[in-house]
Amino acid sequence: MDRKWFSRWTTALVLGVLILQASPLWAQAGTVLGRQTLGRAYWHVFAAYAIVWLFVLGWLISIVRRLRRVEERLGTE
Amino acid sequence: MIQRQIRGAVGVLGALGVATVLVLHWMVFFWVPTESTMGVVQRIFYIHVPAWWIAFLAFGLVALCSAVYLWLGDERLDRAAVASAEAGMIFTTIGLLTGPLWGRVAWGTWWEWEPRLTLALILWFIYLGYFLVRRSTVNPEQGKRFAAVVGIIGVLDIPLIHVSVTWLRSLHPQAVILSAENPMNLDGSMGATIGVGLLAFTLVFASLFLARYTVGGYELELDLRDATSGNTQGAEA
Repeated sequence: MDRKWFSRWTTALVLGVLILQASPLWAQAGTVLGRQTLGRAYWHVFAAYAIVWLFVLGWLISIVRRLRRVEERLGTE
Repeated sequence: MIQRQIRGAVGVLGALGVATVLVLHWMVFFWVPTESTMGVVQRIFYIHVPAWWIAFLAFGLVALCSAVYLWLGDERLDRAAVASAEAGMIFTTIGLLTGPLWGRVAWGTWWEWEPRLTLALILWFIYLGYFLVRRSTVNPEQGKRFAAVVGIIGVLDIPLIHVSVTWLRSLHPQAVILSAENPMNLDGSMGATIGVGLLAFTLVFASLFLARYTVGGYELELDLRDATSGNTQGAEA
């Protein structure tokens, strides 16, 4: 069996199962918990996720800059 | 050859990490139900806990690599400890910033000087000390050895952070995943989401740690080459 074909169908299957399992947030609309999604707490959640990926991205950028400096040093030799 | 293999591993782990992070975001924002008492702010839990898991894992690696470095004196172990300490600092900072964002809504305050939070802040300062000590000596080798000692002593704070909520009077919620009496005391979908979160953060950490370690290796090689060519030129002159 073609390996590429197998990996594509495995990915499609996993994604399909995840989508079928979904019970989206909007199903809670109209409830007390559903209304909280528009409150201040929502912005705290957004800020927390933004902080995580800003810091990780920052570390990634610092590693890439170090790698560029190494390449520049190798280029000058 | 080894460097090429590491570069390949960074790419594979990075791609898997990004894919898992995307799945995590979909699960957190569209799939997992809202917690009944805390509401939507509880969704911070799915990144807060994995961030601390990586912080502890990274500082554990720092201690392990530092101890073996002091024993064997292998430069690669020092490089691994530094790469891991950088990750530890970043994920500890993330943990210290995301916690108060939850606490402001759940507790009504950004910060409390209670045992777990205070010990977590101490951990951050210990590893800040790790980097300061490295740079504070005239002899770089001595700086590396001093930093290794700080890395080993610093890791002792981690078990204290873990037991602080049970041994001491703490405002912080009790452990739900590593609870001795009732482990993984979570709803199935919440357990799955935190599992994906832990996997996503571990993959991101592993790829960036390997990348940082590899770049550190290139830098060391170039420094040694520069030092050798400088010595040769000096001898010729």
